[in-house]
Amino acid sequence: MDLTQQSGGLPRTGSANGAALSSGLREELTEIVGREGLIHRASELRVYECDGWTVEKSAPELLVLPDSTAQVSAVLEALHRRQVPFVPRGAGTGLSGGSLPLKAPVMVCTSRMNRIVSIDYANRRVEVESGVVNLHVSNAVKAAGLFYAPDPSSQAACTVGGNVAENSGGPHTLKYGVTTNHVLGLEIVLPDGEVVELGGPTEEVCGYDLVGAVVGSEGTTGIVTRAVLKLVREPQSHRTFLAIFADVEGATRAVSAIIAAGVIPGAIEMMDQLIIEAVEAAFHVGLPRDAGAVLIIEIDGLAAGMDQRAEQVKAIVGGNGAKEVRVARDETERAALWKARKRAFGAVGRLAPNYATQDGVVPRTRLPQILREISAASQRHQLRIGNVFHAGDGNIHPIVLYDERDPDQVRRAVEAGRDILKACVALGGSLSGEHGIGAEKMHEMPLLFSPDDLMVMSDLRRVFDPAERSNPNKVIPMPGACVEVAAPRRQVPV
Amino acid sequence: MIDANGATAAAQSAAERAARGFESLLDRGRIRAPQGREAGVLGAVLEPESVAEISEIIRKCEAESISLAPVGAARTLAQMRSRPVALGVSLERMRQVIAYEPEDMTVVAQAGLTLGELNRLMEQNRQHLPVDPPAPGLTTLGAMVSAAKAGPLRLSEGRVRDLLIGLQFVGHGGRVARGGGRVVKNVAGYDLMKVMTGSFGTLGIITETIFKVRPLPELAELAVAPFDTAEPAFGVAAALHDALPLLHLEVLSAGFGREFGYPQKCLLFAAFGGNQVELDYQRSAIECKLGGKFAVLAGAPASEAYARLRDLEMADAALAAQLAVLPAELCRGLLSCRAEYVAYAGCGVARLFARAPEGANEAAQIVAHWREIARQARGHARLTALPPALRSAGPAFFDQVNEGSMKLMARAKKSFDPAGIFNPGCFVGAL
Repeated sequence: MDLTQQSGGLPRTGSANGAALSSGLREELTEIVGREGLIHRASELRVYECDGWTVEKSAPELLVLPDSTAQVSAVLEALHRRQVPFVPRGAGTGLSGGSLPLKAPVMVCTSRMNRIVSIDYANRRVEVESGVVNLHVSNAVKAAGLFYAPDPSSQAACTVGGNVAENSGGPHTLKYGVTTNHVLGLEIVLPDGEVVELGGPTEEVCGYDLVGAVVGSEGTTGIVTRAVLKLVREPQSHRTFLAIFADVEGATRAVSAIIAAGVIPGAIEMMDQLIIEAVEAAFHVGLPRDAGAVLIIEIDGLAAGMDQRAEQVKAIVGGNGAKEVRVARDETERAALWKARKRAFGAVGRLAPNYATQDGVVPRTRLPQILREISAASQRHQLRIGNVFHAGDGNIHPIVLYDERDPDQVRRAVEAGRDILKACVALGGSLSGEHGIGAEKMHEMPLLFSPDDLMVMSDLRRVFDPAERSNPNKVIPMPGACVEVAAPRRQVPV
Repeated sequence: MIDANGATAAAQSAAERAARGFESLLDRGRIRAPQGREAGVLGAVLEPESVAEISEIIRKCEAESISLAPVGAARTLAQMRSRPVALGVSLERMRQVIAYEPEDMTVVAQAGLTLGELNRLMEQNRQHLPVDPPAPGLTTLGAMVSAAKAGPLRLSEGRVRDLLIGLQFVGHGGRVARGGGRVVKNVAGYDLMKVMTGSFGTLGIITETIFKVRPLPELAELAVAPFDTAEPAFGVAAALHDALPLLHLEVLSAGFGREFGYPQKCLLFAAFGGNQVELDYQRSAIECKLGGKFAVLAGAPASEAYARLRDLEMADAALAAQLAVLPAELCRGLLSCRAEYVAYAGCGVARLFARAPEGANEAAQIVAHWREIARQARGHARLTALPPALRSAGPAFFDQVNEGSMKLMARAKKSFDPAGIFNPGCFVGAL
């Protein structure tokens, strides 16, 4: 079955990316980045055929690994002369197929550009190349009591450039904000090779907020090569709780009650029974296997007043049906809880050969309804779905378990995801809280936006990329266009 | 207000002619002559009641090359024009709260609603939209977003760009476009909110705004400390910012001391909040740094001092600017700025005020000096007030941006406003 021919955005697999590359391009790119900076063998390119959205696969024909802004500029200039579309990639940890090449034969990966350029402690600023790993930023400034706030689950691997493209979040964004709240300046290479500095180290913008337009544009405005980031002072103290509930309904009620009391915790994360099982089997952190749901709640702030704050949270959670509330006694216990949470996705790998992590948002008070919808989708499509998510933001992450060797399961997994997204929109929510639209949800965009909305968004994209060559066929569906198959596709099952 | 060469008079009569053509769209009561600060910068003012009417107005303006600018209650955008614009569009009649969900902590409101009205509504739930530019009662949500206005709370709560989660605007062709939505975390689609925030009405007319709102602090107090000179005040401010999660933190130049009962003293303000234990801890930490030479206000006196601080203007200032630099460079820049100022220490931002300059030359010199200070501290300065007589020949309101950014901004303007009718000629690079 060739799924790519269907316009509804069903899974594509294969390697093709449009017209054959002209013979001179590979030589020219080799000259720019050297032999070690170019990969062209099909066997090696397989690694790059998908990101964390593994339902669709399509390898690039060439992979370029520049190690400086000048090289990125020269590469894009060469592609511009030949009108060759390209796809940017950071660490490939994205979850919406943002770095899946679709009619973009050349992939430009920023992973070699991984230098921290400068740290300005007095102004709480850091300038980094876009290939720097998220966690390395916080590690570099930890001794000074500072950190970089956005903390996606993949933070040990994902790059700042990828975070900028996707406007990544993470558990602690409930209190501290997402990527766009922490980026002040960018150096970007436009699709014609021109290098432009946007914004700067100051808080106020002069002119249009182009930095704000590029953050979250999913690689469709060019390739970000550097970023000036804000750093945040570490709070004096934390208190981390594990609250155990009989069911997810009770847990969601507690979330609303905490927020309604005017408490903004650093994070409120929920895991349901399926995820608790998986995490416990993988990490043995002592989660109660008979619980219907648990909340990880973290409050932070001044050490003074923390005891009162903690009692307040415990009282609210207890009053809303928690069977038990445990407090992490020390940094080791706290770290274990967060490890369990951040590696929950990986732990799910033990339950099924494949899983697709969905990302949707609803108003916080609609969490009980959306969880019922997810459960209904699970029954309807006969697939197991686990839930581990940022409850405080209403940002859900249903994890749909399937086996890619069974094409019918793949189809059902995609449909279940789509049903859940439709339910999110119907409840007043959105298609994505932090993973992006990418290739995965492009066809759902009309559920949320009118043709005029999408036209204005396209206008904005073309300000940066008039020919739409940077990461084409993403985010906004082209009316009537569907991705063509230009070479034989790799069939599933493998 | 009228130029000697009669250009303004000509524009005025052109505008009157243009306004007459709008009688088929709006009844006469909703087309009015400019009043007060609008005079000389707007030909006529239209008061549409719906998005559909705004679409019609824009289509007609594009077809007939009539320029227009949104006018908020404080006429901020009108004040920045060097030449008149034919029509002002007032959202006076579009001020509904469409949805306020206290439990979700989001609010949807039409752009003509004032910040003051909105916050009065939310106070009953102990919530607020923590953007606090001067005169909230005269600041419409549309103007606040268009001009990216901010105040003291920017230190702890961020700015419009951090709190605006969705909007609707009417642009080119009368096209109604939405970005974002009603949820607090959302990455679906391009971030139109960022592009519209601070676009000063040059890309379209904002009709609806959606914000995430925040809880009011349980308890809050305001410390005020007088200093003979500014430098030590900035020193203490930096130390406090490093040690405490303050709500806001300002240093005022000596010219403002009198407003708070400390004539000719520089003043340091530090607000802190939380539960009683947190409050006590922060008060004693501040005491340690200041050594007793300060007052702590609570309750009504604190609220009153905060409101005065937020609304601070220099009555006789004819020239004003917003300076944005690296936070650690702010003190050095302000020491040589030869102006009165309200400095948002910790944010690297200050509002500067100078008395009426003698003429265009003196104004240009002052502004050039401020811009040089900004440049040396890797920032920029934007004029927020300039005497009307000096506007056409005076310095530009905005600093220059680099060539690459300018090219992109010009493309954005061209793409969103191909007919060039939206508040033309007063933005960066004369866009």
